Amino acid sequence: MEAIAEGVRQIICSELKIPLERLTPDTALQDIGVTSLDLIFIIFALEEKFNISIPYNANEVAAAGERVTSKVGLEKLETIAQISAAVKGLMDAKAPK
Amino acid sequence: MNRVVITGIGVVSPVGCTLEEFWPALVEGRSAIGTFSIARGERLKTRVAAQVSKFDPAELFEPKQLGLIDRFSQFAVVAARAAVRDSGLDISEQMALEAATVIGSACGGQTTLDDSYFKLYSENSPRLHPLTIPRLIANAAASQISMDLGLKGPAFCVATACASGTHAIGLAFHMLRSGRAPFALAGGAEACLTAGTIKAWEALHVLSQDTCRPFSRTRSGLVLGEGAAVLLLEERAHALARGARVYAEVLGFGMGADAGDITTADPNGAARAMRAALKDARKNTDDVDYVNAHGTGTTQNDRSETAALRDVFGSNAKRIPVSSSKGVLGHGLGAAGAFEMAATALALHRQTIPPTANFEEVDPDCDLDVVPNIARQAEVNVAMSNSFAFGGLNAVLLASRA
Repeated sequence: MEAIAEGVRQIICSELKIPLERLTPDTALQDIGVTSLDLIFIIFALEEKFNISIPYNANEVAAAGERVTSKVGLEKLETIAQISAAVKGLMDAKAPK
Repeated sequence: MNRVVITGIGVVSPVGCTLEEFWPALVEGRSAIGTFSIARGERLKTRVAAQVSKFDPAELFEPKQLGLIDRFSQFAVVAARAAVRDSGLDISEQMALEAATVIGSACGGQTTLDDSYFKLYSENSPRLHPLTIPRLIANAAASQISMDLGLKGPAFCVATACASGTHAIGLAFHMLRSGRAPFALAGGAEACLTAGTIKAWEALHVLSQDTCRPFSRTRSGLVLGEGAAVLLLEERAHALARGARVYAEVLGFGMGADAGDITTADPNGAARAMRAALKDARKNTDDVDYVNAHGTGTTQNDRSETAALRDVFGSNAKRIPVSSSKGVLGHGLGAAGAFEMAATALALHRQTIPPTANFEEVDPDCDLDVVPNIARQAEVNVAMSNSFAFGGLNAVLLASRA
């Protein structure tokens, strides 16, 4: 789980061109100014790194002002910890039982 | 300056390949969106599209011609032939020398490209078909129409993504207005339902997995479509002299660039294109009775287009019926603007406003009269058709009742 969380952190920092120190598990994407296009890049990078498919539809982002990640179809994806948990969930779902 | 009218319309659409199928489907809001079948489609997450069915190229082309022509060009040629037939125009040799052919396409011969690359990279084939390039070039549709109908005047392709068809019709209109051509075949063609193209659209996370619901709060994104629409634009005096049936008069064309973001639309850019079309037509916002919206059914487009309409039409924005044809036809990319100008011309001709299909719930951020689900009989004297492309390229046409 720690390796996943570290991978998630690295991807987000690299996509946003921000130093690693800026992200803690509780950092919300909203607070670091993630745009809808940034989010698409982050999702792509996560899918590539972890070989998963993240069911995200940009149109289900509800009313203006709501968090860009508030409706991802699986669970809340607002903080780094939540994203890491979701990635782990998707990887587990794929792994042979 | 010459006046320019639409005297012929030809379509190859997901709801059928005749106007007798096309117009009633739009009026009744009968959606063509559903499951589709393509080569290697099992690799996709996407399960819905608006695919052209009831189209058998073997019945429509000579065997020798078939090998030369990608699906998008087939659509274009069949729509162009239908537009000429519909217009009743007898093309003289002299007219053919000057006739213009302007066809928009966002991505050209995608079927040829997808099949070729599959053969090359997946089947490790050492060679490709000798006609791969002539089939896939973006201007193939314009070229094939010019050859099929013997049109020898200005002919070219316009590639402005989702606005291609609108730009094509607008540029042809300006050529006719300035006397550069006696008539033109103008429109758009697209056959983008390939595994590679749809996969690339999936990467944008904007495709719906059920259906397209423009301006509805319950929208889930856009649905890809395909097909072609070609209009026969004719100099008005010539059309009237031969007693032609006139669908509508083209009054103005406006275009511009956002010069902003490659994917995020700027309402100011859309508004400037609408104002440019009104100015080109010498009309005011008060004159407009109907707007055929770009209306893709993505959150971003619907809100941005609403903001632009509010900006341009001010307090009238809520009064003017605005509908999107994409709930019925899907998003035909380069063909979309041409489909929608055909719909706009028919709305003017039949004095009927086609509805926004699949509408479920009002989106408070899109508080327009979107003509939900039910068509309306109304006096329509002037109508606008909007197209806004990825890359921030905007095109707007204005037309009036004949």
